[in-house]
Amino acid sequence: MADTQQAMSGPADDRRPLNGMGTAYALALVTFILFGVFVVVRQTQAFNVQDLLPYQDDILNGFRRTIWVSIVSLVGSMTLGFLLYLLTRSPIRYFRAFTDVFTEIIYGTPLLVMIMIMAFVIGPAFGSTSRAVMGFIGLTVYISPYMTNIFKSAISSIDLEQYMAMDLFGFTPYQRYRYIIIPQVVRILMPPLMNNFSLIIKGSALLNVLSYRELFYEIQLMTNNNFRFVEGFILMWLLYLTITIPLSQLTKWIDRRWGI
Amino acid sequence: MKIELNEVNHHYDVHVLRELNFSVEGYKSIAIIGVSGSGKSTLLRILSGLEQPTGGSVRVNEHDVSAPEYRKSVGFVFQGHNLFPHLTLERNITLVLEKTRGYSKHEAHEQACHYLELLHLADQTHKLPRNVSGGQAQRASLARALSIDPEVIFLDEPTSALDPVLTYDVLTAIKELRELGMEFVLVSHVMTFVHDFADYVIFMNNGEIGEHGPPKILEDPQTQGLQEFMEKVP
Repeated sequence: MADTQQAMSGPADDRRPLNGMGTAYALALVTFILFGVFVVVRQTQAFNVQDLLPYQDDILNGFRRTIWVSIVSLVGSMTLGFLLYLLTRSPIRYFRAFTDVFTEIIYGTPLLVMIMIMAFVIGPAFGSTSRAVMGFIGLTVYISPYMTNIFKSAISSIDLEQYMAMDLFGFTPYQRYRYIIIPQVVRILMPPLMNNFSLIIKGSALLNVLSYRELFYEIQLMTNNNFRFVEGFILMWLLYLTITIPLSQLTKWIDRRWGI
Repeated sequence: MKIELNEVNHHYDVHVLRELNFSVEGYKSIAIIGVSGSGKSTLLRILSGLEQPTGGSVRVNEHDVSAPEYRKSVGFVFQGHNLFPHLTLERNITLVLEKTRGYSKHEAHEQACHYLELLHLADQTHKLPRNVSGGQAQRASLARALSIDPEVIFLDEPTSALDPVLTYDVLTAIKELRELGMEFVLVSHVMTFVHDFADYVIFMNNGEIGEHGPPKILEDPQTQGLQEFMEKVP
């Protein structure tokens, strides 16, 4: 019993408290910072952050758009993923087959290819001229089977005997969802949901190929003007990390604090 | 307690119970034994109202087990503890009392503490099931079953998931409860326990009742089925 419970909540490492690892983590972090400094020092051009300042508004707007498009895509792919989940539970065979085939196609497609196909092939077929919107839809559609997956595993992790116990004590359907099912599902759902959110944020960088003015695009625009590639790309890298690392830490914290 | 089975049949793909006609009255702790697949767990579930037989009628203490109210009057302890894993031991009990039995918060708290104490869990009330031992979780599950004031408590192999030490722990707790006058129907593989706990034994064999009677039938089996069973179990 204990073993299966741990397996459900992900790798055992995520649950291990920080005890005694503090110094080790600090050293590991210093290693990467030193590597960064080494790489910067090795550049032939002098490091100049001053040249980035005129572009700070553009970059900030790009950063905001990245977050914005990611949140909308998160909500969209959760909704679509849940609908697909319902289809996988459908008594109608066609629906179950449909989701299986759809999932296979998506899993086999690189995200960049998905976005291009949406913007240049599927979009025009339906009369859409807005490539950015189609790209965004591509991103959302691409993530949705991953969402379906986490809904599936979260809901199936409540075992049959718990439903028998609910039956036995005579909980009403509302009470079952309110006090027993949803609280458990949410806790199991949070960590993989946050992982998928990370996936979306990273994926959103690809929207630059459709000239959507998100973070990657704005930085590229700047570097094409002032040739500060090194500074620009480092800044871009750090900005992505400022979103994704807190997110993954939050996930681990939730798992430790609320994990079942 | 009183149990009456009338032409009870049960099958899904296979026949699990065949034509059970049986009645017994006046015993306080009844054990159902038999090999896996003999229908013993199914019989227990049917007696507790958790499952309805596909044919026939079953009465326990004058209640028809198909009545929905009956199910609310029984205590049932599963093989695994089956506590709600996101709730503390205490909340596992108070949630049931508050939401399905109409207790106030205060009454539910009192009742939960009373039964957790009775099962020697007074210092574990605020722990989650995953943070206590299997034996403690199973005892908490017993406390939850008791807290609704059941007429009869059904135990489905309550120790099969536990090691010998924890098994002893749980079985001792069950014996203590019998001394307090609680009535039990249980399925168990632990023959020594069945022998000194039960005052009536039902041996299930191949979906039928092979033999039944006081525990001394175990020492002197009359049917081939029970003979073979007693030779094989420790």
